[in-house]
Amino acid sequence: MKFPSAIALALLLTLVAPLSHPASGPLDGDFQIHSAFVVIDRGVLQLNVHVQYPVNDRIRSALQDGVTLAFDLELNITRHRRLWWNASVLDMTLRRELTYHAVTDRYVLRSDQGVEQESFPTLEEAIDKLGRVEDLPVLVESQLRGEGPWQIAVRAGVRRGRLSDTMRALMFWSDDWHRNSDWYTWTLTL
Amino acid sequence: MDTDALRLFVVRGLTAVAVVAGVAALVLLAASVENSALFSHWQPWILLLNICGVIALMALLARKFWQLYRDFRDHKPGSRLTVRTAVMFGALVVAPLIIVYLFSLDFINRGIDSWFRVEIKQGLNDALVLSRSALDLRLREQARRTEIFARSLRELRGPELLQRLDEERRATEAKQIVVYDASGRASALSSDTPMAQQPAPAPPDVALQVAAGRSYVSLNPLPNGQYTIATAAPIADAVSAHPTHRYVLIDYEVPQALSALAEAVQHTSSQYGDLSAVREPLKISFRLTLTLVVLLTLLAAIYGAIFFAQRLTRPVQDLIAGTRAVGKGDFGTRLPLPSRDEMGFLVHSFNDMTKRLRRASEEAQRSRQAVERERERLSIILSRLSTGVIVTDRDLRLHSANASAATILGGEFSGAASDANLAQFATGNPRFLKFLDELRARLQSGHDEWREQLSLPGERVLLWACTPLPDEREHGGVVLVFDDITALLAAQREAAWGEVARRLAHEIKNPLTPIQLSAERLRRKLLGGMNAEDAQLLERATHTIVQQVDAMKQMVNAFSEYARAPDMRLAHFSLNQLVTEVAELYRLQDPSAEIRLELDPSLPDIHADRGRMRQLLANLITNGIEALAGVADGCVELSTRQQRAEGAVAAVICVTDNGPGFRKELLGRLFDPYVTGKPRGTGLGLAIVKRIVEEHGGRIEADNRPEGGAKILVMLPVNDQDRSLFAGAERRVERRRERA
Repeated sequence: MKFPSAIALALLLTLVAPLSHPASGPLDGDFQIHSAFVVIDRGVLQLNVHVQYPVNDRIRSALQDGVTLAFDLELNITRHRRLWWNASVLDMTLRRELTYHAVTDRYVLRSDQGVEQESFPTLEEAIDKLGRVEDLPVLVESQLRGEGPWQIAVRAGVRRGRLSDTMRALMFWSDDWHRNSDWYTWTLTL
Repeated sequence: MDTDALRLFVVRGLTAVAVVAGVAALVLLAASVENSALFSHWQPWILLLNICGVIALMALLARKFWQLYRDFRDHKPGSRLTVRTAVMFGALVVAPLIIVYLFSLDFINRGIDSWFRVEIKQGLNDALVLSRSALDLRLREQARRTEIFARSLRELRGPELLQRLDEERRATEAKQIVVYDASGRASALSSDTPMAQQPAPAPPDVALQVAAGRSYVSLNPLPNGQYTIATAAPIADAVSAHPTHRYVLIDYEVPQALSALAEAVQHTSSQYGDLSAVREPLKISFRLTLTLVVLLTLLAAIYGAIFFAQRLTRPVQDLIAGTRAVGKGDFGTRLPLPSRDEMGFLVHSFNDMTKRLRRASEEAQRSRQAVERERERLSIILSRLSTGVIVTDRDLRLHSANASAATILGGEFSGAASDANLAQFATGNPRFLKFLDELRARLQSGHDEWREQLSLPGERVLLWACTPLPDEREHGGVVLVFDDITALLAAQREAAWGEVARRLAHEIKNPLTPIQLSAERLRRKLLGGMNAEDAQLLERATHTIVQQVDAMKQMVNAFSEYARAPDMRLAHFSLNQLVTEVAELYRLQDPSAEIRLELDPSLPDIHADRGRMRQLLANLITNGIEALAGVADGCVELSTRQQRAEGAVAAVICVTDNGPGFRKELLGRLFDPYVTGKPRGTGLGLAIVKRIVEEHGGRIEADNRPEGGAKILVMLPVNDQDRSLFAGAERRVERRRERA
């Protein structure tokens, strides 16, 4: 999310937080990034993240009722600048969808474009797979222009998927199927 | 910045925020409708702008409500009309808006509910069950086939095993058949792909299942919408028939038609599930969004209703305020023209009316001022008149009077209430009472126009005239004009006496000398030839004649002196010195005369006729000495002092004696000619003194001293300037004295 939108959202959330966020939601549970790091292998930055996603009966039930869940992994790489905003180097989102395949009684994990797909007999296996991102190439080393250090931030998010943006916007008031982890940040120096 | 400017700034700022926020939200919304991704990006801004607009609008509305309440509470003109109009406008807008809102709410509920009808859900579930049933049948069939096939592999190894796998793959149209050994490695493979790679290790769940001696079967979806059936079965030992931890894994491809149908059912079910999950949130969101939009519209409508009500009733309020201002006499009120409609015509008429009223008022004001000026001028003229003027009616109610009237009558009109009766001013004043009695008698007898003399107590004579007022004849209003002619009559009398004196002096003085000479000749001629007795008789007779002729000469000279009025020869000289000289002269002539002097050394030189002053002093001293005849320790005292009155400097000469004083009946006429209390007095001494004093613009008073004796006070202005000032002051003193 770009900075102005973040400001707007922050202001908006401040104003409407009491309306839009109930005390407990379906995505309650342990939701955090356990670890994240970047490995440079032959000039390619590869991301490794271990995320703990929440698992509970409401999620299971919703999936079995046909709800698709979208799991986003946001990655921001910024270059530190003195006396000014940090320069954005990379702003990417790894989006995957988890659905329950009622015909096969399996949990299907798809990439955003649906090119890659895996199925798992249990929700736990699917969530575990979702939570482990290994050696994901994100950037070529030469793209890190200028001098470091670089600030890397990773955040995981879960929301109800397969809704159009308009629909999602309309459901702003009452959509409690939306949760983000805290930003996991570290500094990269070469 | 003062409070009003700050308030205006805040109102304009809030209005600008509301308008800008609303317009910006609309623009963003319109742009994002075409691109849902934009909507996602701008959604926070759109909502934020809407909320800002709502807050600004609510603030403006709160201010409008406060204004209405304050005006209503303070009974401001037109506030009730504004409230009624605003309520009417508001009702006209709010009522249909609420109806539309309620209808929309119901429509949203019904519309969204209709998307998730029970029949659709049930149909989807049935389709799912059907798909599963169809696939389960195939799964069971493939699982049984795999178990049979696995048993056929117990004794096969090496090429035989591969051949058997190929045969089976071809027979069953399986995609791939793999045999895994106890270590989990693929020991044999048959694939429909010519260049098949080394197969991946079997999934853990497969290994676990077959390790337990059970068959494994699963249906796996592929990204392309196809399904594969994976079956696995343990391969038993050839001798003991116990599991050998070897197993065969076969991948079957589900027929495309069946896969497509199953995938369609799955896809539809998943979509329905997604939509069904947002059913209630969507309803809530729609309700909230609709409520927000309605609220915005409602607030804007109410604000607009109040705004237009105020705007509509503002001319009426202006008219009410203008009417009140006109009622209070402010004819300069001008109202702003609101428009060119009927209200504008009304306001224009009002402005025209106030303009005419203002002109008329200014004209009346000018007339009043002119009348007032005339009244003031008349009042000044009347106040400066020595003639008394009284305006009254037949009931003797005082309408107006000037100061001279009060002076002449010895009354006091200042501060009297209008229409006060004249009688209340005459209490204890015999002169005024006599005046009123005469006036009342004449008016009651029907006379309202006369001009005649009126004698009043205190030897006062008035010349009074009465004329009815032209516009008040029927009301009996009359104007009385009167003048105190006592002094005039006295002057006339004095002039007549002067003429008599002059004639007497002329006619009598001439024969006196021959008489005296003849008497003396007779005495000289006859005295020698007579006997002693006759001579003595002649001597006494001629002496008497000569003495009486001398007396007559003195009398005639006095008459002549009184009648003579030579020109004044004014000069500056010391009055104290003159007094000293004259007093010394009398002391020399009559050493027995006790004359005391008490002179003020600060007395300035006086500008007067020295000869007349000498005569004045001589007459006064003579008068005093003559009054002391037969009085033991008689004494005449002359004193001088300086007196300031009304800015004028006067020299005061005070002559007192300790004789018997003036007779009371003569006190009012002491200065008249031929009025004397002495047996041998001519009565001209004080008359001459008075005339000299008046010739010098001074004043003379005569009275008896409380301790006995007479007192004569002469006040003389020291120069010409003081003389003119003294004359004015004297007139005022005279008036005060008359009033007293």
